[in-house]
Amino acid sequence: MRPTGTGPGLTEGKDRDLDGLLVLVARGDESAFSRVYDQLAGPVYGLIRRVVRDPAQSEEVAQEVLLEVWRAASRFDPAKGSAATWVMTIAHRRAVDRVRSAAAAAEREQRIAMPVTGTDDVAAAVEASLEQERVRRCLEGLTELQRESITLAYYGGYSYREVAGLLKSTLGTIKTRIRDGLIRMRDCMGVSS
Amino acid sequence: MKLLRADVHSLTGAYAVDAIDDEAENDRFERHLRRCQQCTGEVRGFAETATRMAFAAAEPPPPAMREHVLAAISQVRQLPPVTEHGRPPVRAFWQGRLPMLSYAFAAACAAVAVVLLIALIGTRHQLDRAQQRDAALAAVLAAPDSRASTRTTSAGGHVTLVYSLSEHAVIFASNGLPAPPSGKVYELWLIGPPRVRPAGLLGSGAPGRSGPVLARGAVHGDDFGITIEPAGGTSKPTTNPLVVIPLRT
Repeated sequence: MRPTGTGPGLTEGKDRDLDGLLVLVARGDESAFSRVYDQLAGPVYGLIRRVVRDPAQSEEVAQEVLLEVWRAASRFDPAKGSAATWVMTIAHRRAVDRVRSAAAAAEREQRIAMPVTGTDDVAAAVEASLEQERVRRCLEGLTELQRESITLAYYGGYSYREVAGLLKSTLGTIKTRIRDGLIRMRDCMGVSS
Repeated sequence: MKLLRADVHSLTGAYAVDAIDDEAENDRFERHLRRCQQCTGEVRGFAETATRMAFAAAEPPPPAMREHVLAAISQVRQLPPVTEHGRPPVRAFWQGRLPMLSYAFAAACAAVAVVLLIALIGTRHQLDRAQQRDAALAAVLAAPDSRASTRTTSAGGHVTLVYSLSEHAVIFASNGLPAPPSGKVYELWLIGPPRVRPAGLLGSGAPGRSGPVLARGAVHGDDFGITIEPAGGTSKPTTNPLVVIPLRT
């Protein structure tokens, strides 16, 4: 239970609202879907953009993800997590699939050569929210290696193997840093474990 | 052994952010996850945490996207719920195959949905999908453990498989297979020691050549089979296979 007023943008009330909307979507309620779209299209697109970078491809992947939400809504199980997380998990996986597919191999080479975006990008995102502030603050509370590992893995879509290569560290270290970092982030953001 | 387990457990973070790119390692971790409640809880907590990070990266999508998506949903059939037996209701077109397929290929297999979607979103997507499918086929063909096998079937004609267990995928094609009896289809199966999983349908009314059909989720020890089933397919084979091909490396 988070205190009201100081909670992040993603409040429990909103969470429950989304959960309920998704149940309606599973029954074919198109207007419920448009409300889900309005709540989640921004985070879905923004997350995919971070990973995929190219705006046209990001838009394609985002559309696929949102259609998948419509198509597979009956598979959402509130007992296993929130609706937002169900959707974001699909979005992240699709984005990662896109950048890891063989067709994207060449582009990926270029992507690796691009400078790594730091957490400042998060702050630059258009939708200013408490959530954003909170994530930024929590990321700042991590060690540098934890922060870079998580940022590259989640926002960059890199595998932990690739992260180890980029940060010139061992696989075991990166694996552990991602986990330790996520534990800290989770506790910092008050996600119940 | 103990060391190995601790090592597997430390993958919870990488798993939650899709950072395991080795499929064998990913499968190993998912098997561990099914037995490890603590890991399951940890992965869920991490996934919720990652969701906050996604919200922090929110960006307004291109304005036209809303209209596209809302127009497209009326053309996309929804999946039935998973029933208590872990399978969708019997008459559902999609049957129990879908959970087996990755999200990426579920769309490719749902031909109707895809065709309509493509019509709506345009030829650029069509190209993109073809490329993705090509990429998927190419991945199987180019896998170091890729194998090919051709057999004649008891109904005549022959079927060819190219498969890779590291890619967990089978490409199926047939030549000279007679058209199925009216109201029937050819259904493909992955036949594993634990259970038999539907692996796709061949387009009906297509004698001569058919395929390639990409079936995902093949694992070590599977055989591949084809049977004649009622239109729409079934979740379990109801007739004897015309041919069974072991997927061996």
